[in-house]
Amino acid sequence: MNAHVRRTFYLFVGGFVALVWMLAYWQVYARESLANNPQNGLQTQRAISTPRGLILANDGETVLAESDRHKTPSGSVYDRIYPEGAAFANVVGYWSTKYGATGIEIGENSNLSGTAEPATLDGLINQMSGGPTPGNNVVLTLDPELQRVAYEGLAASDTGKGAVVAVDPNNGEILALASSPSFDPNNIDQTFPELVRDPDAPLVDRATQSLFPPGSTFKVITAGAALEKGLSPSHIFFDSGTYNLPGYTVVNFKGHVYGRVTFTQALVFSINAIFAKIGVEIVGPQALAQMAYDFGFGDSYDDFPLPVSASNLGTPPSEWTQGTLAQNSFGQGPTSSNAFEMALVAATIANDGKMMEPRLVREIRSPDGLILDRPTPSVRHDALPASTAQTLNEMMQKVVTEGGLTGAQISGVKVAGKTGTAETAQAPHSWWITFAPADYPKIAICAMVENGGRGDLAALPIAHQVMEAYLKGGTG
Amino acid sequence: MTQRVTSPMILALLITSLGFATLIFAQGAASPPLIYGAYYAGTLFALYLGVRLLLPHSDVLLLPIVTLLTGIGLVMIFRLTYDLEGAENLATTQAIWILVGSGAMFLIVLFFRNYHRLFDYKYLFALGAVALIASTFTPFGYEVNGARLWFAAGPVSFQPSEFARIALIIFFAGYLAEKRDVLTATSRSFLGVQIPALKYFGPVALVWAASLGLLVFEKDLGSSLLFFAVPLLMLYAATGRIAYVLLGGLLFSVGSLATYFLFSHVQLRVKSWLDPWADPDGTGFQILQSIFNIADGGLTGTGLGAGFSQTIPEVETDFIFSAIASELGLLGATAVLLAFLAFVYRGIKISLLAEDESSKLLAFGLTALFALQTLIIVGGVTKAIPLTGITLPFISYGGSSVVGNFILTALLLVISEKAGRREAEQPLYEGGA
Repeated sequence: MNAHVRRTFYLFVGGFVALVWMLAYWQVYARESLANNPQNGLQTQRAISTPRGLILANDGETVLAESDRHKTPSGSVYDRIYPEGAAFANVVGYWSTKYGATGIEIGENSNLSGTAEPATLDGLINQMSGGPTPGNNVVLTLDPELQRVAYEGLAASDTGKGAVVAVDPNNGEILALASSPSFDPNNIDQTFPELVRDPDAPLVDRATQSLFPPGSTFKVITAGAALEKGLSPSHIFFDSGTYNLPGYTVVNFKGHVYGRVTFTQALVFSINAIFAKIGVEIVGPQALAQMAYDFGFGDSYDDFPLPVSASNLGTPPSEWTQGTLAQNSFGQGPTSSNAFEMALVAATIANDGKMMEPRLVREIRSPDGLILDRPTPSVRHDALPASTAQTLNEMMQKVVTEGGLTGAQISGVKVAGKTGTAETAQAPHSWWITFAPADYPKIAICAMVENGGRGDLAALPIAHQVMEAYLKGGTG
Repeated sequence: MTQRVTSPMILALLITSLGFATLIFAQGAASPPLIYGAYYAGTLFALYLGVRLLLPHSDVLLLPIVTLLTGIGLVMIFRLTYDLEGAENLATTQAIWILVGSGAMFLIVLFFRNYHRLFDYKYLFALGAVALIASTFTPFGYEVNGARLWFAAGPVSFQPSEFARIALIIFFAGYLAEKRDVLTATSRSFLGVQIPALKYFGPVALVWAASLGLLVFEKDLGSSLLFFAVPLLMLYAATGRIAYVLLGGLLFSVGSLATYFLFSHVQLRVKSWLDPWADPDGTGFQILQSIFNIADGGLTGTGLGAGFSQTIPEVETDFIFSAIASELGLLGATAVLLAFLAFVYRGIKISLLAEDESSKLLAFGLTALFALQTLIIVGGVTKAIPLTGITLPFISYGGSSVVGNFILTALLLVISEKAGRREAEQPLYEGGA
């Protein structure tokens, strides 16, 4: 009888081995495919049952996003709350288990969700014990006051559509990055279907993702290339109101004729015919394109936590006709850019031709407040020699002083800038790039109002408010 | 067989404490009333000392295994229910059931050391088993989740089938030991298969059929499977005739097919096993949630308290193994399975060393019940076989199951005592045969 009992025991052992094999199949072999199965809601549940880190403005106090715990019958879950709402939504983004995530919420997700490599002993112990790993806090470079002023300025503009980007030229910190119209990320699960259908595209960040013709603001790049070719700011041009090319004629804005002007005055009065002539006869396609690339055209800033659409000049310069070159020289034709790129152009000129790496994240802190990462400012690219940048800086100051732009002036502060009125099929886009104080720049701004009309009328006042807030505020 | 297993006892209690400490300190669970923990640890340790004193030659290693399994069960039940409104006290209820089970074990160890008396009443046990199962058809019985498994008398409600199983095994052990010779020596053969004389086989088949029939109509598929397979294995062990297993297998196939076509709930079970994806939010939901959670655990598990096995319906009873696999991973789940296998191994060893045939068969039957129950439910929740709702011994929440398994263990202990004593008296005896 014992032999039979033994045989049965081997049967049982075989059964247990089969169970371990079955477990190994689910837990090792089929694990990945089951985790990704659409019926499997565990990953979503994991995501909502651990608190994500805070997103904070550069004062380290203004909360832009936080996780709020509330009890449900099957345990605690966390809701994502955005106390500052729409003004910061294009940067902070939203975080939804239904519709995915955008902005910093996805750009810094590994930090916010606590899935990054453990950086502290507590974090390591937590990860090894399988305990919940609360996310790290992300402190942004955004100045909350500036962001609000910029957003409200845009929202109050005639079309209510546009973007403002403000940057510290010395270290590349983005101080404001506003886009309008925006959306309230607080109840994105309910509003999303409506928001995607909205013809004004509130979910699109106009500051970084959209591309528009930059208009005359691009002339600072053409001017930089011309200065590098040895053109003097006091060089005399004669403007007849037009510039004729085979098959294409450039006409000045509103048909003005300026006559005898210096190169500086050509920038001050934004004379298209002269800039077309400079582009075609002095700079040439390769040098113009190269200067644009040196200022960041063609670059999608992959290290920046938000997706950036690369500004571009249309086709490669080798394929340009003289007409294309002429149009590109004053920022029309195929040239397209956005407020993010043009703010960096202004900041680069302000910082003696050195483009700083643009940064949106000031530091990463552990939930206990320990600093885990603080990126240091670094030079991204040398776009212009310091002397050339200084010359261009002075020319841009004259745009404000001699161009009659009283709205841009601030008493006791030297302000530099350049308007843009980019022609479109509808009303022109209104652009203004500026930096101040021009002798020791602290802030560079680009404001753009979509179909807003003349640059000095729509975009300039918004940038001016932001600049005044910064220079007069404690942070300046 | 005499051994001192004080350190395994302490280890098992420490593992349980570690589990609770993890939940309370790492997961921030509100501490359960600690007095229950003290009762639990104190009772099981006292039980261990009592058994050592009363049954000095018994295979007392079974007790640390029972302590480990009940401890893991308590930790998991607490983890799954501490933040569930209306179920916060499930773990303390289970602790009370463990105390009741310990009491039952102590009484058996105290009064049934001469367990051979039980075989004198084997027909009474058979009758009792059938009566127990049938009791759910009386007005005292009631249905839970479509299966009529419960019996309530006043404040006490229990699942009679948990106890009927043990009674039936006592009957089969006594009967088969007595009739073993005549069952083995067959008179006729049919198609080369030797058929036993019907008059000896009759009572077995009758009890078998009665219990099975009742269970099928109660829709308790898991118990039906156990009631069928355990006597079959005992029959094989007693006679060594493969013919019985083949015949049983044939009967089982016919019976399975018949129930499949007769009962929609059987068809449902099989369909949700073969293709749970056909209705992932309905019939396939439970098994899919189980598989998702098991897979979520991976090799090392999500960590105690960090998984999502609360998404599985009935997770604290039938599906508790999925929660273990999810939070302790392949490694932890395998360790728990090894603890079950260790119990089975000791049970088989007790059977091998037992002196007389009825004792051997009783120990074997009880061990087979324990082993099959584990294999059937773990196989069910891992989708290795169709799901049949039975409890995982000692771990699943449920008073009847816990008390039943304590009785099962107590019987194994008293059988091992006798063999152990004989071994002590004849030191040169070699175990096994």
